[in-house]
Amino acid sequence: MLSAAIIMAGLVVVTAAQEEDLATVSAALAPRAEGLIIARCSVCHSPDLVAQQRLPRARWEATVEKMKHWGAEISSDEADLLVRYLSARYHPGAPDHLPPLDSELRKAEPLTQEPLAEGPVTGVATRGAGIFEHNCQGCHGTGATGGMGPKLAKNPILKHEDLFWETVLHGRGPMPAWGSVLSHQDIADVHAWLLSK
Amino acid sequence: MTLSRRSLLGRLLQGLGVAVIVNRQVPVVQAAGEEPARNESGPLTVRVARPFDAETPVREFRPFLTPNHRFFVRSHFGPPPPDAISEANWTLRVGGLVERSQEFTLKDLRQMDAVTITAVVQCSGNGRAFHRPKVPGVQWERGAVGNAEWTGVRLRDLLAKAGVQAGARHVQLQGADRPVVASVPLFTRSIPLEKALHPDTILAYEMNGRPLPLLHGAPLRVITPGWMADSCMKWLTEITVQAEESQGYYMQTAYRVPTQPVESGTTPNVPSAPVEGMVVKSLIAAPQEGETVKSGPVTIQGMAWSGEVKVVKVEVSFDEGKTWEPARLVGEDRPYAWRQWQLVWKAKTAGAFTILCRAADASGEQQSAMTPWNPSGFLWNGWDRVSVTVTA
Repeated sequence: MLSAAIIMAGLVVVTAAQEEDLATVSAALAPRAEGLIIARCSVCHSPDLVAQQRLPRARWEATVEKMKHWGAEISSDEADLLVRYLSARYHPGAPDHLPPLDSELRKAEPLTQEPLAEGPVTGVATRGAGIFEHNCQGCHGTGATGGMGPKLAKNPILKHEDLFWETVLHGRGPMPAWGSVLSHQDIADVHAWLLSK
Repeated sequence: MTLSRRSLLGRLLQGLGVAVIVNRQVPVVQAAGEEPARNESGPLTVRVARPFDAETPVREFRPFLTPNHRFFVRSHFGPPPPDAISEANWTLRVGGLVERSQEFTLKDLRQMDAVTITAVVQCSGNGRAFHRPKVPGVQWERGAVGNAEWTGVRLRDLLAKAGVQAGARHVQLQGADRPVVASVPLFTRSIPLEKALHPDTILAYEMNGRPLPLLHGAPLRVITPGWMADSCMKWLTEITVQAEESQGYYMQTAYRVPTQPVESGTTPNVPSAPVEGMVVKSLIAAPQEGETVKSGPVTIQGMAWSGEVKVVKVEVSFDEGKTWEPARLVGEDRPYAWRQWQLVWKAKTAGAFTILCRAADASGEQQSAMTPWNPSGFLWNGWDRVSVTVTA
């Protein structure tokens, strides 16, 4: 009786065909949306909080809107993309344990669309300021003076470029990896700007 | 003061110890689509890696007191920076509608009369994952609850020193934790003056006889016995006596429940009230979900608790709630603590069984199979359920 009640209460009308459509939509949107989740959402919380939700589109819309209102740096295009992706992948009928995104998809494209430089790239400090403000300031503070994350202005890591790149590309401790979000040029620009601080 | 610096360091390490052990199981980078590894053998089951939210595996509830390093962890923004709460810098300010604003150091508080209260602390969203349709929020299952001994000072002793003015109705609580992005509202809460003046409402600096760990609100947190943990402000730094309930998101929008029934899955604009008292609830701590037991006598044990009243009855069912057998209440019997219970089950036949439990309290409230759906998934207290296999 109890299990019947649970099934009734949890009844979500999603047919197998619809399920397949949703999977196709989420797969198509995943590369960019996953990048956005790391860049915009995980400033405040790790992506696991997103992945455990199973919500209808209206509630995803309300959630993304609430986060925008609270200061998430999401443009309307990005918000639209996120809502489409989240409501396709994390809908009420989706299983508790979703199969991982396949490895091809997880190679998320950089949000900044430009060819990856072969060999060393030269950073432009003036560009780096804006990229830092958008992506790094939430944790590392205005002017890179520190916040929840360490102070980066005059931080010794700036002189160890390999370590700096390793940290930004692959993450370290609570810091997420930015390799799927920032292009090499972006990272070089941020590095150049930080050196000027 | 060497001693206090050492104790702060101890607290930090205690807190970090948990985080480090658990985080090792969680990939640093992880697509939103990947569930973090649920470390079922670790001290805590991680729900969110950052800010750190983790619940206690139910098997750890067999002892009467939940050890500090296994006690569930929940906050909105994670702990404040250590220097904000170091003993050298930390103070507690009491102001608002008072005759004399006060400022206390930890040393001041330690010199006041100390009281120890055993109390269940439970996240309002404990069991949220069981609501259908699903609701947004951390998907807590059974373990966002714990029972500990809290030592500290009575909030009313501090308010007496400050002198509460006529017209005061609420007491606002603010901790030192801050959001990453300044545009996110602070976690600010208030409790009615009556609860603040209750002799059992305390500001705790010790948990189970140890300095309060960082993840549990060091150096000082509020304990409102019988009430949900959203009133138990961690990292407390400011108390403001005021005429009105606190404004802001976490008092006026979040942590509220509708005061009239709502249709499942809808978020209608109906009157609501802040989450306050706990509701009667029980858990099966042993056997564990999925366990295989041998036929013969099997000891079923667990705990049951309610808000400000005692648990008077726990019952167990083996037939999906058609019939119920009374369990025996055992162990310590203290107000606000949970009560342990046992039932020896004569498991005669091999096969798959589902064990259910439900409790009733002295006010006559009894757990139902399901909790009425509410938009934020608060106050879940449906029957607990464990599936086991009996072998010959």
